[in-house]
Amino acid sequence: MPPRALEAVRIESNEDPADFEAKNVHEIYDAIASHFSSTRYKPWPIIAKFLSDLPTGWVGFDSGTGNGKYLPLPADRPGAIWTIGMDRSRNLLDIARRAGEGKVVREVVWGNVLDNPWRPNAFDYAISIATIHHLATHERRKLAVQRLIQAVSADHGRVLIYVWAIEQDELSKRKVSVEDDPEANEKGKDVMVPWVLSKTLAKPSPETSQPEVYNRYYHMFAKGELAALASDAAKDLGLSVGSRESCSSTPGVEIVQEGWERSNYYVELRRWSK
Amino acid sequence: MVRLITHNLLGCHVKNCNANNFPLEFKNARVELVEAEFNPDFLRNFLPKIEWKALVDTARQLGDTSLPVEQPEMVDDDFLKALHHVLLEVHVEEGAMVCPNCKHEYPISNGIPNMVRSYSFEGYNTDPLTIPTKLLAEHEIA
Ligand SMILES: [Zn+2]
Repeated sequence: MPPRALEAVRIESNEDPADFEAKNVHEIYDAIASHFSSTRYKPWPIIAKFLSDLPTGWVGFDSGTGNGKYLPLPADRPGAIWTIGMDRSRNLLDIARRAGEGKVVREVVWGNVLDNPWRPNAFDYAISIATIHHLATHERRKLAVQRLIQAVSADHGRVLIYVWAIEQDELSKRKVSVEDDPEANEKGKDVMVPWVLSKTLAKPSPETSQPEVYNRYYHMFAKGELAALASDAAKDLGLSVGSRESCSSTPGVEIVQEGWERSNYYVELRRWSK
Repeated sequence: MVRLITHNLLGCHVKNCNANNFPLEFKNARVELVEAEFNPDFLRNFLPKIEWKALVDTARQLGDTSLPVEQPEMVDDDFLKALHHVLLEVHVEEGAMVCPNCKHEYPISNGIPNMVRSYSFEGYNTDPLTIPTKLLAEHEIA
């Protein structure tokens, strides 16, 4: 199948971004939950490594957990750490509760990534994988990063964030043309991504034999945008950004790694204080 | 399936409710006990991070008095087993959690707590409680 061009979208200035997200993200995931989940089973290497490097006894949360595929990790030390899943889609949470092998029930919480339902600094780590790109404005994406930073320990908290990149690899079925849109390389691009609901999972509809297509909203991040967002988010919380050694004012956040993996950008943050 | 480990990490996040908003109090809790694998290393390392009084008080409200009011200096196997049970095997399947300060109720249904609150902060909706009614109705009824 040739790469599909994605439909660009503009969020009108008089539109409430919360309503926009409810319609173009939350409702879609609730509708496609079971099919979506059946396609999401393999943890990505960098995320699996992040979780498997965490010390025993650490607790964290997964903001936008989807079908909860990261909740059972690390596979080689089950139960060594404790990850609570949070998602806005109630239907995905019902799936996430049963994530992984066997009858183990996972802890999940129904919440928006902009919510702050946690005791401050209660966690040792937080991850947010393929979630923040569903927020419709820069300010909201920044707030989502701040929620992660606020939820983890000011001394040692670690945060890992993945978002969809404007740079798509060849394996990706989707292609975004940015040649005609030079702004996209700087500011990212807002697009609608179609999800074609598998016929076997779709409710039989006698009127049409067409597959059901659901469009989800994404903000595709420009190169460097995620690290800049994280840095702004931390600064706005009054935190220093940089290494513990290099900053004079405490507490702070250090960006310990950032990069691109399989059509996504990621960034890892560590909090420190002295 | 709000277990007490999760309960110990949650707080009220209603706008401007910033004091005495932890721990949330269970209301009409339907409790199920589900066995979980015992992992003493996890418990030992997690222990210092627990809000102890909140855990003990909440366990007692749910009828479990196995934990001491003060954390013991000697962490032995019996204590860890009691802690394991309270933290990881007591599941609240239905009911609600109520903020001790503002009295906001967070419902629990089919083991999943509804902590959804914030919607707009850009001035579109002044009421942070505004939730798309369609979504709310669908799940509240279910
Ligand atoms: Zn409150």
